[in-house]
Amino acid sequence: MKRDIEDLGRRIEQLLAQPEYRDHPLREALDEVWRALLDQTTRLDRVTHISDGYQSLSKERENDLDERFQKQLRKLEKLARISDHYQRMMQDLNVALSDASNRDVLTGLANRRHLMHRLKEESERASRSGLPYTIAMLDIDHFKRINDTLGHAAGDRALIEVGRILQSSLREYDLCGRWGGEEFMLIMPGTTLVSAHALAQRVCKSIREQAGEPQAGQSISASVGISAYRHGEHYSDAVERADAALLEAKRRGRDCIMLSEA
Amino acid sequence: MSNLSITGSQSTPAISGDWNAGILTMTGDSYPENSFDLFNQVIDWVEHFLADGKRPLSLELHLLYLNTSSVRAIMDVFDLLDDAHAEGHPVSVNWHYDRRNERVAELAEEFKEDCSFPFAIVAHD
Repeated sequence: MKRDIEDLGRRIEQLLAQPEYRDHPLREALDEVWRALLDQTTRLDRVTHISDGYQSLSKERENDLDERFQKQLRKLEKLARISDHYQRMMQDLNVALSDASNRDVLTGLANRRHLMHRLKEESERASRSGLPYTIAMLDIDHFKRINDTLGHAAGDRALIEVGRILQSSLREYDLCGRWGGEEFMLIMPGTTLVSAHALAQRVCKSIREQAGEPQAGQSISASVGISAYRHGEHYSDAVERADAALLEAKRRGRDCIMLSEA
Repeated sequence: MSNLSITGSQSTPAISGDWNAGILTMTGDSYPENSFDLFNQVIDWVEHFLADGKRPLSLELHLLYLNTSSVRAIMDVFDLLDDAHAEGHPVSVNWHYDRRNERVAELAEEFKEDCSFPFAIVAHD
């Protein structure tokens, strides 16, 4: 296109310059048309140039915006990732704290708080389902004597060992924990006094056979009181009856199991 | 500009900026009620420091838990450092953590991604 106009321009310039056409009636008109065309072409070039300028400016802005958008997007993703990570950290910490608050530090068994929570749950469940649950309170006999004669470390070992025996004799739905001092509790859902008694006998036998330290001339036994939850009562009533049965076992010379009347 | 000193609380980190030494320290947990208010002071201080010649600036972070808006504020501070670093400003971050709490190191590692300036994650016993 540009070359065409340049060729045409040369031809017109030549024609206009020839002396024989100087007085030709079309010469002046051709001259004017030619100038007008040149003028328009220049103008068109300028408009195109300006328009190109605007276009590249807007393109630059678009690229810039896009870059900024991508950057913000990356930043947002990073923010979400890190924030989620912190949240997971908090949740794990919560689990660890909740575990710590429900566990007895020495024996690793459930602590009194956990036992009480479970008693409440089991009482509600028993009231709904009509299935009984039983509570056994177990107390190490003459525990103070172990502490006094063999030291507190031996006392601690005895507690840990009794805890281990209790834990290993439980069934899936049973829970045992340290009620306090040398006193342990077993919660046995769906269990009658008779089968709870059998389980307690096995536990007491294991304690006699395994929990002592024969080389130190020390043997260990335990006394147990068992009660069954009665529908509608507060669980503390059932705990009290188990406690009373335990006291009775102690009175009868220890190393025995007493059942509270159902 | 002077030193920056913000007392920490259970939910806000202790923050101190030593103008002469070029050290900004943040210690503790951060889940403030208004993290915008808190960290604006920090961002202000960093901006002023970076605008005042090209003295080295070092961030010493002993941060534990950060809520989302605090994470964002820290990322904004790192952006400032990144820009300054691109202009030849000597800036650096040392993120300190207790070796028993490896997750803090993992988080620092995530912050470190895309940061062009020197960023060390330092274990302590």
